[in-house]
Amino acid sequence: MINHRPSAPKSIFFSFFLVLLVSGFGASAQDIAAGKALFISNCAACHNPLKDGTGPALHGITERVPDKALLHSWIKNNQAVLASGNKYFNDLYNSRGKAAMNLFTSLTDAEIDNIIAYVESVKPDEKKPGPGDGVTPAAESDNTLLYGILTLILAIITLVLLQVNSNLRKLSDDKEGVPAAEPVPFYRNKAYITAFAIVLFIIGGYYTIQGAIGLGRNKGYQPEQPIYYSHKVHVGNNQVSCLYCHGGAYEGKHANIPSTNICMNCHMAIKEYGANSEKLYREDGTEVNGTAEIQKLYAAAGWDPNAKKYTGKGKPVEWIRIHNLPDHVYFNHSQHTRAGKVQCQTCHGPIQEMGEVKQFADLSMGWCINCHRESKVNFYDPKTGEGNKFYSIYEKYHNDLEKKKIDSVTVEMIGGTECQKCHY
Amino acid sequence: MKKLSVIAIVSSAAFLMQACGDDVQRKPSRVYMPDMAYSVAYETYSDYHSRLGDSIFYNARPVAGTVKRGEEAYHYEMLADTTGSYDKSAAMKNPLPQMDAEQLTEAERLYLVNCGVCHGQKLDGNGPLYKGGEGPYPAAPANFIDPKAGGGKYYAMAEGTMFHSITYGKNLMGSYASQVTPKQRWMIVSYIKSKQALQTAQSTPVAAAAAAAPAAKDTTKK
Repeated sequence: MINHRPSAPKSIFFSFFLVLLVSGFGASAQDIAAGKALFISNCAACHNPLKDGTGPALHGITERVPDKALLHSWIKNNQAVLASGNKYFNDLYNSRGKAAMNLFTSLTDAEIDNIIAYVESVKPDEKKPGPGDGVTPAAESDNTLLYGILTLILAIITLVLLQVNSNLRKLSDDKEGVPAAEPVPFYRNKAYITAFAIVLFIIGGYYTIQGAIGLGRNKGYQPEQPIYYSHKVHVGNNQVSCLYCHGGAYEGKHANIPSTNICMNCHMAIKEYGANSEKLYREDGTEVNGTAEIQKLYAAAGWDPNAKKYTGKGKPVEWIRIHNLPDHVYFNHSQHTRAGKVQCQTCHGPIQEMGEVKQFADLSMGWCINCHRESKVNFYDPKTGEGNKFYSIYEKYHNDLEKKKIDSVTVEMIGGTECQKCHY
Repeated sequence: MKKLSVIAIVSSAAFLMQACGDDVQRKPSRVYMPDMAYSVAYETYSDYHSRLGDSIFYNARPVAGTVKRGEEAYHYEMLADTTGSYDKSAAMKNPLPQMDAEQLTEAERLYLVNCGVCHGQKLDGNGPLYKGGEGPYPAAPANFIDPKAGGGKYYAMAEGTMFHSITYGKNLMGSYASQVTPKQRWMIVSYIKSKQALQTAQSTPVAAAAAAAPAAKDTTKK
């Protein structure tokens, strides 16, 4: 079949060609590279070739403003062009809240041409087949079921063989004339009943105890949050520090949940989830539309991305709390992160790899105590000048350390397992 | 026949236990004595819906007119209306005395946590969110360290103006007033200025030896 309509890449190529004609010089790859460098150092703070930022998206500027001389004078001194009463630029200026553009009088005409060549050479993002495309996350192969079935089959074989054995014995007894004992059905066979009772007691007891211990523990708890916020994308891929959003973890008792204004620091500009970024999936395998999730944030923050204004009609995002210690335990984040220099991942697991956050540790008392027994306290060492001077009151340990009686001090030794440290 | 039914029951029970074990846990587990586990008094981030009728009003803001301890010298009252305040901000003086090495390390940590993700670890406006135009952030963040960036604007920029930009945001950058305290903002501003001074000193070799300022150690962690 012959397609008579020009395809998208063709039309882009055509417009690019048009640019070359209009600008009247052959934009070589070098010009474009020089233009990119100039663009990044001069324009990129406010403009993006394809995305609307502080200033408008610039791709296609040569079609909107065909007059090259006018464009040059606008970039060099926009205030003069505005004063001259040019309609297009005055309309643009008014439509963008009269935000004035900086003057670039030092740029030469050739430099501006290079910048324009670069801007027009940028093509809109096309969907490239990425590595993760079309591959749904494979279900982890689980051998437990297989083993269960095998055990069951073996058990049945054992039963059958036992029956066969007893039948054969009966036959041979009959042959030899040994009077057979009254056959006892297996459900009245005392050996069977005892074995069954013991097995039931062990299995039942195991599950009862596990269930009782598990009361109030939430290891693996992974609720579905109102917005699909992926720590993997933010922390893993984009390297946003944990403390950027949860600064309270370093300052005080609570690791605060960020309010939407902190999200908007970046998402005022980042309006969509990149088409070529890796695909996101919920735990049940359904795909996540990242851009739609950002829209949910805009609704919560009360931000109108088209008008670039806050409507004042936001409502808080009701995140579902995952980590929750019982009321009778005192836990302070800063005590661990700032004084103890414990990494977030020690308790929260590989959070930078989690799409949906899951409780990593069971947060049981045994788990706390274990860590307090094993963790070493960072005593101040006058020789190297490293360490925490707060612990200088533990004179005995300092002396023991010096005399090499002990090689390190654990949290337990300075009272980290006393009841009243956490329960009061 | 009875034997078969026993086998069937045991195997189906085993299968059910298997099947239930692997699911994503979307609901919290059961709690023994919930009133000991969940605070009766209002705690940060507890569910307030059940208490709306009790006319409890919880607001995490500090009481009006109070100043945080240790921040008395740096107290800054947020303006309700910022029209024209940007131009006036250059007059604001940095109340922070010269920072020692320890404070400089802390200032660097603050910079890396809050600013570095866009403005770059090296202050070159090329943090992981921008990555020379490859990252998700569409606009180039300010390059503080290149003396020619923006026509030397960030070298000439008054500390008060930088403080103003952190407090209220500038262009696409949002306000960081909720993330860093006024004192911390001044620390970050001083850190940027100290790095710029170091850069100037290095580019003029005569002065380099004289201004071997206490270089901040790279011990800051995420």
